[in-house]
Amino acid sequence: MIDPTLIDTITYSSLLGIMTFGLSFVRRTTGVWNIAHAGLITIGAYVVFTCISFFGESPYIYLPLAFVLSAVVAVIEYMLIIETLRKRKASTTMMLISTLAFDLVMLSILNIYADYLQNTFSLLSKNFLLKKLDFTLFDEPGIFWASLLFLIIFLAALYGVLNYTKIGTALRACVYNPTLASISGINVMHTNLLSWFISGGLAGVAGGLLPLWIQGKPVLGDSLIAVMFCVSIVGGVEEIYGTVLGGFLVGFTQILGTSALSIVLGPTVIPYKPLIPMVILVLALLFAPSGIAKVNWNKILTVVKFGGEPKRKI
Amino acid sequence: MVALFAIYLIINLSLNLQLGYAGIPNFGLVLAVTGGAYTVGWLPIRLCMWIFNIDSQLGADIVKNNALIVSQINSNIQAQPLIGLAVFALTLIVAVAVGSVLGFISAYPAIRLRTDYLAITLLALGEVLSIIGQNYDPLVGGVIGILVPDVWSWSGDSRFTVVSLVLILAAMGTLFILELIARSPISRTFRAIRDNEVAASAMGKNVTKVRMEALVIGSMICSLAGALYAFYVCYVGPAAYGRLEWTFLPWLMVIFGGLGNNFGVVLGTFIFIALEKLIVFYKYAFAFLPFDVIWLEYLLLGSIILVILIFRPSGLMKEKPSQTMPETKLEEIVRKSGKE
Repeated sequence: MIDPTLIDTITYSSLLGIMTFGLSFVRRTTGVWNIAHAGLITIGAYVVFTCISFFGESPYIYLPLAFVLSAVVAVIEYMLIIETLRKRKASTTMMLISTLAFDLVMLSILNIYADYLQNTFSLLSKNFLLKKLDFTLFDEPGIFWASLLFLIIFLAALYGVLNYTKIGTALRACVYNPTLASISGINVMHTNLLSWFISGGLAGVAGGLLPLWIQGKPVLGDSLIAVMFCVSIVGGVEEIYGTVLGGFLVGFTQILGTSALSIVLGPTVIPYKPLIPMVILVLALLFAPSGIAKVNWNKILTVVKFGGEPKRKI
Repeated sequence: MVALFAIYLIINLSLNLQLGYAGIPNFGLVLAVTGGAYTVGWLPIRLCMWIFNIDSQLGADIVKNNALIVSQINSNIQAQPLIGLAVFALTLIVAVAVGSVLGFISAYPAIRLRTDYLAITLLALGEVLSIIGQNYDPLVGGVIGILVPDVWSWSGDSRFTVVSLVLILAAMGTLFILELIARSPISRTFRAIRDNEVAASAMGKNVTKVRMEALVIGSMICSLAGALYAFYVCYVGPAAYGRLEWTFLPWLMVIFGGLGNNFGVVLGTFIFIALEKLIVFYKYAFAFLPFDVIWLEYLLLGSIILVILIFRPSGLMKEKPSQTMPETKLEEIVRKSGKE
């Protein structure tokens, strides 16, 4: 049996990675930080909760539905707001604000929906946990295996798509120079639409998995959005595996780091666990502003090894 | 409504200075607002205990004996209002200083970042004080919060009128100062950097330093608003200082009113607060609905902002170009240069 703290740490880190994938992906491919990603995650959680409440069965079988519904909402967000603003040449800040406003709309709708479920069907829709419905494998909770598996699948799929397919090349071309990409025959709007669809879908799956580990509520995504941004910036958006690195760095430091600190400084440090992502963020901004995925480790190792700048070949 | 309007107006004017003039997307307004409120939660009670010589045994655990201590302090302030006002003024000064420190600390690692990265970083850093406040009980009583001495207790039944008047005066004072800043060379530097960093830098402007100044000044003003709000409600609790209320709503109000136009911000704030109060006022008319009406309010606000962003991104009132000299003088200069 694996140490429960380690299980918790890996699950948390994997979930952080899955949640942040979509955020980093859409930032990388369309240049927009989508605050409404929080709402898309919560939609995934409520899709699974609603299906469980009315039809029963395992929460995992409703993940495809969570993927589709969140992806559709993300596409609506893109078509209605982002694309319209893009046509009007709005700045990135304006687009950021528009995603915030859209998140507010989604937050309201989700709260109205949760109130409706609670008042009409007497469901505990404002605070629910689906842990009891989870399976166990090798004495470990299913969410541990599922989060790890989904992380690996998503990482491999996104890495493969971005680096080894024509669609990936088109997506990257649209980031670097949309005008040139458009001249080259790439339909910028369609590639962007695809990015938002994938990003929304990933958020939906992450949201569907979350109530198996933490309590689901209408502000589920919003309560985690700051940590997601930390993970995204710390890992770096330029490389898709940066999200995994960021997620694991933040997750491991937050849980194992706090445990280690509590041994040295006492249990009073444990409640300050949520501060750790912010501290890592500040350190990352000071020492690795492009994210840890972009750090030149070879150079650092050489400097450490030789105690100075690496020798240049003449 | 008047008090809330005044508080939000101060915060929104501060955001307008940072975002509208300097182009800094401060998504961490809540940090400075909370800083100001925490100052009010921590300082006046200790200061008043020392001044009024309150039982030191009670002071051994201020959080636990909070209600008792505050009621004794309030009785003393009723008898000596000047001391209450002095404590109020001193706390505001400290709150502004705290705001400047918080502005500097949050800006230091992030100020060189691109606008969207800066916004996201400030959003994440905005959470810091809330986490500390919830977990470090001696600061503001942990999750339960802490009662604050009522420095207006001497005004009796007319407390609400007096506080509202003070808050409106503070808001008008902030508007006056920020309008002066908006017409000053520093504002033109802010706008130059906002519109073209490279060109401003080529003209000898220290972009990082100027942006840092804007953020620090903005944080000082936000902290002042946070302190005034805490004195108004006589309570400070970390749960009362959320990102939605103290960062997202001010953003929406400023965008609604008009970026880079202080009077647009006044209008936007007024309409938002009036709408909010209207919904709260008619809340019971919607009692038949199977959900809390407050969500209709947020739904409406979010939708309005989306419509504004799409159809009128400059807000209700557009930014006006700043005139360095009266138009007649400018025309005279143009005429003279034409002759030469």
